Amino acid sequence: MTQANISTSVRKPNPNYSIIDIQGEVTGFAEDNLMDAFSQASNGKTTRTILLNFTDLEYMNSSGIGLLVTMLIRSQRQKQNLIAFGLSRHYQEIFRLTRLNEAISIYTDESGALAAIPS
Amino acid sequence: MSNKPSFWKRIFKRSQDQSNQDSSSNLEMTSESEIKPLDIPSDDPLLTLITTSPGLIEVNKHNIDSPTLDRLRADGVKLVLPLVSQGDLIGLLNLGSRMSEQEYSSDDFHLLNNLATQASPALRVAQLARQQQLEAQERERIIYELQVARLIQETLLPKEIPSSSGWLLDVHWQPAREVGGDFYDFIHLPENRLGILVADVTDKGIPAAMVMATSRSLLREAAERLIEPGKVLAYANDVLHSEIPPKMFVTCLYLVLNLESGEILFSNAGHNPPYLHSKDQVSELIATGMPLGLMPEMDYDQNRATIQPGETLMLSSDGLVEAHNPAYEMFGFPRVQELVRNYEGGDGLIAHLMQNLRTFVGEAYEQEDDITILTIERFEVLDSAVDTYKSVIEKFEGAQVLGEFAIASEPGSERRVAEQVLEVIAPLNLPEERYERLGTAVAEAAMNAMEHGNSFDPKKNVEINVLADEHQVTISITDQGGSSNIPKTTQPDLEAKLDGEQPTRGWGMFLIKNMVDEMNIIQTEDRHTIELLMHYGDGGV
Repeated sequence: MTQANISTSVRKPNPNYSIIDIQGEVTGFAEDNLMDAFSQASNGKTTRTILLNFTDLEYMNSSGIGLLVTMLIRSQRQKQNLIAFGLSRHYQEIFRLTRLNEAISIYTDESGALAAIPS
Repeated sequence: MSNKPSFWKRIFKRSQDQSNQDSSSNLEMTSESEIKPLDIPSDDPLLTLITTSPGLIEVNKHNIDSPTLDRLRADGVKLVLPLVSQGDLIGLLNLGSRMSEQEYSSDDFHLLNNLATQASPALRVAQLARQQQLEAQERERIIYELQVARLIQETLLPKEIPSSSGWLLDVHWQPAREVGGDFYDFIHLPENRLGILVADVTDKGIPAAMVMATSRSLLREAAERLIEPGKVLAYANDVLHSEIPPKMFVTCLYLVLNLESGEILFSNAGHNPPYLHSKDQVSELIATGMPLGLMPEMDYDQNRATIQPGETLMLSSDGLVEAHNPAYEMFGFPRVQELVRNYEGGDGLIAHLMQNLRTFVGEAYEQEDDITILTIERFEVLDSAVDTYKSVIEKFEGAQVLGEFAIASEPGSERRVAEQVLEVIAPLNLPEERYERLGTAVAEAAMNAMEHGNSFDPKKNVEINVLADEHQVTISITDQGGSSNIPKTTQPDLEAKLDGEQPTRGWGMFLIKNMVDEMNIIQTEDRHTIELLMHYGDGGV
C-alpha cells in the first residue's frame, strides 16, 4: 500500500489554461505525481490558469491537503490562478473548513470552471 | 593633495623643534603623534576674535585679555590658524617662529589660510569617524553584555521538562531582547513529589542574571532541605535580603506537587497567582507573601489545593499579563483568567494563551519583558486499555459493540481502516454527509496512530472498537505509543501556511475535530486512544 494510488493527465486546450485530471487518491504518496503534473500544466510558468479536475477523486487525506497548499504556494509565486471542479460535497466542505476555497475557486463541473477563466 | 600629510608633519615638526630650542617653553605637542588637548574657556575673548575675524591670528598683534592667547604666547606660538568647520571651531594649528627667523610673508599667510580651508573638513570627517567608532564599540559592548546575560539565564534553566505518568508538564519561556530575569525550575523530591517554581528578578541584563543565579541555587538548596514551600521562601528571603543590592527583589511562586495524589502545597512571594483550570471554570490559588529580598524575617502563607484528573494548573510571569497592545492597553489578569477559563483542550493551554496574546498585541509588538508560562496538566489516567474499554462501556451504558478489529501499522493503510469502520456502521443509516465525515475522521485518527503512535512499526497494531447506543456511535482508535505525549499542534492557518510561517501539512487533528461531534484523547501508560463520537442526527436509527 506504500505506492501512490493516483493517476493524472494534463490537457492543454489553450495556451492560457491547463487542466489536470486527477483519478484516485490524493495523499502524501501523490506528491511526485501531482507536482510533475503541475509543472507540466504550468508550461514553463506561462499558463495563467490551472484547473484541477477532481471528478474522479476517490479519497483525499490531510497530507493530500498539504500537497494542495504546496501547489497553491507555487501557483501564487508564478502568478497563476488555481481553480477546482468536480469535488464531492464532502470534499467541498473540507475546502471550506480549511479555507482552501478562498484561494482556490470551486466550480461544480468543467464547463462552469472554464467559463470562470479570466480572458 | 598627496603632499598633505608630510606638509602637516613639517609644521608640527617645526613647532616641536622650536620648542626644543626654547627650554623654558611648554608646548602642547610632545611628539609628532601625540598632542595634548588645549581647553579654551567658553568666555575666552579669543573665541569672539575667531568668530568675528576669520583666518590667521598673529599672536603678538592682538592685545586682548585672553588666557589662551597668553599661554600660546608663552609657549612661543607666533601664528594661530583656527580650523573651522560649519561654523564650529574644531581645532587650532599653532605655529612658532620661522626657522629662518624671518617674519612670515603674505604668501605664507595665503598658503596657511588655504590650508585651513582644506584641512578643516578633513579633520571634521576624521573626528566624526572616530566618534562613530566609539559609539560602535559601545553598541558592541552592550550586545556582548546582553549575550552574556542571556547565556547565564539559559544555562540555569532546566534542560528537560520532567515527565511522569498521568501528567503533562509544559513550559513556554520567551526572553525579551533586553533579557529580563524570569526563570523556572523543577526539583525532584522524595516520595514521588516534584518541586516547581517560577520566579522573576526585577531589573534586566547582567545584574538580573547574577541575582537569578544566586536565587536559583539558594531556592534549589532550600527546597531539597526544607521541603515545605513556606519555609523555603522564608529562608531564601532572609539570605537574599543580605546578599542582593537594595531595590532589587525576586518574585517567586513555589509549589510542591504530589504526583500520586495531585495535591499541591504552595507559597507565593509576590508573584502572579496560579490559575487552576477545570471544566469551564477557573480558580485563582491565593497565598500571600512579600517578594524575596525586600525585608528580612517575613512569613509566607502555605496553602493546599488538588489538581484533579482533567484539570490544568497554569503558572506565569508578569511578561504575559503586562504585555501592551498599540493602544497601550494591558493584556491584564481578567483577560488571562478568562482565557484559562474558556480553554477547551486541544493544542494546549500555552498555545491558547500565546495565540490570543499575539492577536492582542498585533504584529508590530516588541516584547517588553520575559514571558514564562508553565502548565501542569493531569490526565484522566487509566491503568490499561482494558480499563479504557470498560470506561467506554460504562459511559455508554446499553451500548452495543458493532465491531472490533486490529490493523498493522503500514503507511497508506488508513483508508482501509475507514472503509472497515464504515462497513460496520452501515446498518446505522447515518445521513450520507455524517457517514463521510466519520470516514475522514477515522482515517486521519488511524493515520496518526500508525505514524506517530506506532512509528509505522508493522508489528504494532492499531486497535479499533466501534460501539453504538441509541443516540450515537463511538469509535475508539488505540495505538501502542502511550509513553510519549501527543505533541502539541498549532491551529492550522492557511494564510500562515501560504506565507511560509507554518508547514503546509498539519491538518490532521484539525480535520478530526471538525468532522465529529466530540473528540476525546485518553492516554494511559502505554497507549493513546482517540475516541470519536458522532450523533445520528436526522434520519438515523
